[in-house]
Amino acid sequence: MQLSFRATQRLYRFLTATVLVFAGIFALFPLVWTGLTSLKLNTDVITAEMQYLPHNPTLENYFELWSRKSFVTLFGNSVVITVMTVSLCLLVGTSAAYAFSRYRFTGRNAALVGFLLIRMFPMVLMLIPLFIIMRNLNLLNTRIGLALAYTTFLLPIATWMLKGFFDAIPPDLEDAARIDGATRAGAIVRVVLPLAAPGVAATAVLTAIAAWNEFLFALMFTTNEASQTWPVGLHLLVGEEFNLPWGLLSAGGIISILPIIVFFVLAQKSLVRGLMQGAVKG
Amino acid sequence: MAAAPAERRSGLSLLRSHWPAWLDIFGWVGRISETRYWAWLMLLPGFLLISVVIFYPVISGIWLSLHEYNLLRPARGQPFVGLQQFIDLLDDEKFWLSLRNTAYFGIFNVINPFMLGLIIALALKRAVRGAGLVRTLILMPWFMPSVVAGHMWALLLDSRLGVINDILVKLGLLESYWPWFARTETAMPAILLVGLWRGFPFFALLLLAGLQSISQEMYEAAAVDGANALSRFRHITIPLLLPVIVVAITLRTIAVVNSPDLMIILTGGGPGLATHVLSFYAFQTAYAAFDFGYAAALSVVMLGILIFFTLIYLRVAGVDRD
Repeated sequence: MQLSFRATQRLYRFLTATVLVFAGIFALFPLVWTGLTSLKLNTDVITAEMQYLPHNPTLENYFELWSRKSFVTLFGNSVVITVMTVSLCLLVGTSAAYAFSRYRFTGRNAALVGFLLIRMFPMVLMLIPLFIIMRNLNLLNTRIGLALAYTTFLLPIATWMLKGFFDAIPPDLEDAARIDGATRAGAIVRVVLPLAAPGVAATAVLTAIAAWNEFLFALMFTTNEASQTWPVGLHLLVGEEFNLPWGLLSAGGIISILPIIVFFVLAQKSLVRGLMQGAVKG
Repeated sequence: MAAAPAERRSGLSLLRSHWPAWLDIFGWVGRISETRYWAWLMLLPGFLLISVVIFYPVISGIWLSLHEYNLLRPARGQPFVGLQQFIDLLDDEKFWLSLRNTAYFGIFNVINPFMLGLIIALALKRAVRGAGLVRTLILMPWFMPSVVAGHMWALLLDSRLGVINDILVKLGLLESYWPWFARTETAMPAILLVGLWRGFPFFALLLLAGLQSISQEMYEAAAVDGANALSRFRHITIPLLLPVIVVAITLRTIAVVNSPDLMIILTGGGPGLATHVLSFYAFQTAYAAFDFGYAAALSVVMLGILIFFTLIYLRVAGVDRD
């Protein structure tokens, strides 16, 4: 049967809307449910009849989490390690990305591909030698040790992203500044970096989120609570108990994704563009 | 970036006049930056860091796979055993089972999110009202920490408190609550569901970008020639999207084969060995058994698998061509 043009259009619009609504529900339902659970006392979680909306919404879980000494330590560790990782990646990555973007030299392509290939290495393969190196250098259980370990997989991605953003800035602008008497370094600081600021910010956000979320290295390279990160602490909170503190766990989950949501909303646009540059050649 | 030249000039001078003068004390940096050493100087920190934290570990990891090295048996030292550990692998039933599970997990944890991502990308491209909001919101699962994502789904699928169990029972699809992660037959599908949730945004985003780069005129021309929607999809969308599809699928495959996170968080490789994948086996051998030599051998096998997919990626993405 041949549908009329308008009927086909209406059918498509209906299908599109349905797909998008279901996609939204699928993506957000676990988050919403975790949010609701974080507002329930454990007595309201473990019930005979499931409570969909909390009958007695309370922030008790958040207060209890905050009052635990380990929470402040874990959260603090994560913040410090994230800041260190981002600084390291941006400092080293900006410099390398600029060179890749503006100079043509022997081995440039090989080096660029090499940077990209690094993320193909099995994490576990690097985990063991890194563990041995860090043990020999007394870097296990230190923040700088973890930040360095995170740099292994984040620096290449950051460099590729930044290179993409630098490529988008016409070299004429720098040349103009240099004709006006600025040196190349001066032109980088005064012209290139300010223009690339949104891209640099997006790179920082992506690096920060990845460092904040990292789990495997943090689990391997830390052995005591004083040096663990927030995801590891959250994982170990589960332990082997039968009655899990679901309310508390959910509150912990919500707290750990708040910074991500804030970052994400701030840098959404250039973040998406940067992600593509790293994945498909930009 | 696409501002008119005249605006650029004025923006530039505005910038210059606002920049503090003290920055000019870095004059010597400026002088070096005009020499031919500058490019190498800028690359140096990156290369140093990469050599120390990546190349050295990878090479010593491969070297380690040829040695016996167990932290729990320090007296044995690190004797060179050649390929012995790889020969041991051939007789290791756990290894073969992990390899099979890796294939199962790898295939479905790539295909499922790809299919869903493609459908959503096609819907997002039609730019209906609210599509922009949905595009942003569906990216959330991708940016969750794996620990939080794991615990969210552990709660949703819990055998006593899981809301999904409750909904399925109320709908009459399930007689009683089902322990999804604790049963051999549903543990892997349940992990794949979590993988689908975390993986589909990546595909949706990449494929949407690919779709948007296909010129609209092609579709119009085909429509004039009388091609219906299905044949337009088959003869325009799929062929033109193919490079993006292959790149996205290989990148995802590499990430999935590489990461034992979900198994560590949700099942510990169990029940039995139902979710025991290769990356988890290697991690567990190093982390719990401290048998670094054998874990390194397992990782080298993974490296071989990953190199295969990497070669595909390089060919299709054309990153080595400038």
